[in-house]
Amino acid sequence: MSSAMTAKAVSQRGLFARSLTSVLVIVAIWEAAARAGLASSLFLPPFTKVIAEWWTVCADGSLPLDLVVSLSRAAVGLCLATVIGVPLGIAMARSRFLHWLFDPVIALAFPSPKIAFLPIFILWFGIYSLSKILLVAFACVFPIVIGSFAAATSVNRVLIWSAASMGTSSAGVLFRIVLPAAWPRIFAALRVALPVSLITTFTAEMVSGGGGMGATLMYSQRFFESPTVFAYILTMLGVGLLLDFLMLKLQAASAWSQPS
Amino acid sequence: MQRTDRASKLASPVGRVLPLVLIGLLWQAASCVGLVDPSFLPSPARIGAAAYDLLAGREIRDNIFITLWRAGLGLALGSVAGVWLGLMMARSPVFRAYAAPVVGGTYSLPKSALIPLFILWFGIGTVTTVCAVFLACLLPMVVNTAQGVTSTPRVLVWGAEAFGTKPRAMLWQVYLPHALPDIFAGLRVALGFSFVLAISSEMIASTNGIGKLIFMYGENGAYDYMFAAIACVVIVAFLADRLLLMLTEKSLRWHESARGSA
Repeated sequence: MSSAMTAKAVSQRGLFARSLTSVLVIVAIWEAAARAGLASSLFLPPFTKVIAEWWTVCADGSLPLDLVVSLSRAAVGLCLATVIGVPLGIAMARSRFLHWLFDPVIALAFPSPKIAFLPIFILWFGIYSLSKILLVAFACVFPIVIGSFAAATSVNRVLIWSAASMGTSSAGVLFRIVLPAAWPRIFAALRVALPVSLITTFTAEMVSGGGGMGATLMYSQRFFESPTVFAYILTMLGVGLLLDFLMLKLQAASAWSQPS
Repeated sequence: MQRTDRASKLASPVGRVLPLVLIGLLWQAASCVGLVDPSFLPSPARIGAAAYDLLAGREIRDNIFITLWRAGLGLALGSVAGVWLGLMMARSPVFRAYAAPVVGGTYSLPKSALIPLFILWFGIGTVTTVCAVFLACLLPMVVNTAQGVTSTPRVLVWGAEAFGTKPRAMLWQVYLPHALPDIFAGLRVALGFSFVLAISSEMIASTNGIGKLIFMYGENGAYDYMFAAIACVVIVAFLADRLLLMLTEKSLRWHESARGSA
């Protein structure tokens, strides 16, 4: 026990130094292995070469353009899923009929791999942005509905009853009691859906092309442009980290989110 | 109490399937009247006939088993490695400090982005798919196990120590059992990921598997077969999820979370 306590007291800086070390060691091993010729540069280009390539594709504008295309698809899909999913989840918590109607559909569709539906979306909406945006919305809507439903059902009934008994209209109950009380958990559901939207966008682009990060990634792989493949993967990693960090900040800063 | 009564009637198996049947009937009616173009959305009857045809042949069974084998192998390897890593991270702050940036960094990376890399390294086939599934399953297992083990109440640890439990036995008798609900929660997430990754990697590059089969039907314009194959995937994924839930409930019978739902 005491060892754990002292280890915790090693100070944040010590832990940070270790974390930094591990990243640096990985990068160093990568660079060394590639330079020493342990792996062919086709399979593992040196880290410095990847960074140089990253700079080149950034400078000629191809990577930023792909990134904007992918992110806007993911964002539009996620917004669509939010606009549909949050009201539906809350409505399912408030109305037993809607719950009865939608619950089996969601129970069946939630565990299914949404990417399997991509051929249907391509058939209906073409191979460009529309099919991808709608697939992203389709993939994100289920966690959002389930999260919003759980959030709205967990609202303390005493709050709803007392507001209703004091003559608050049902719209008032919805906007002044249910939404504020459920908000932190709804936001948590959105945080879950965010990586889903990115993964679905990238994967759909990789499968069906049509521009964006995933399409260029597959294209570079087919032509064995390994530094570009690594540069794109590193960019995706950075974007994922950054977005999750932003969501955390937003969650903390959101005025409504006061953990009960 | 009256509420639970009515809710239980709606929650009966028949009551739960009814909306799906209604949707199916509406869909069939819309196709019969000609509201939807059958080449864009085949009617349920035609999809059913195609599914019957598929299930009678070997093609879909073989390909589904290939996909399940890849997903299952990746899931098994990923969860064993994930539980071990999560345990190490929770028990050793030094190990956590070294591993945290790697886990945190790759956690938000879409694992499907690594598929091109694996194709470069391992070529097209089972190894690439299993690697992608393995990585995707690894991370939720690591995070959930670490969380479950870290949150073990000190009282439990002190109690076991007072009874003279050895450190190694503590692992099996205190930390892992306490983390079990979290581990199962992680396993459910990982199960979903395993299907997604197996199917996407088959769609991106493979010569067989259900993902490839679905795409092949789509490219050949055999849309009723494509819908039937997708329906098979949905049902298999649903059954796998239910099976895991049943297993969870059985294994956690002793846990307080089971008492509420029983």
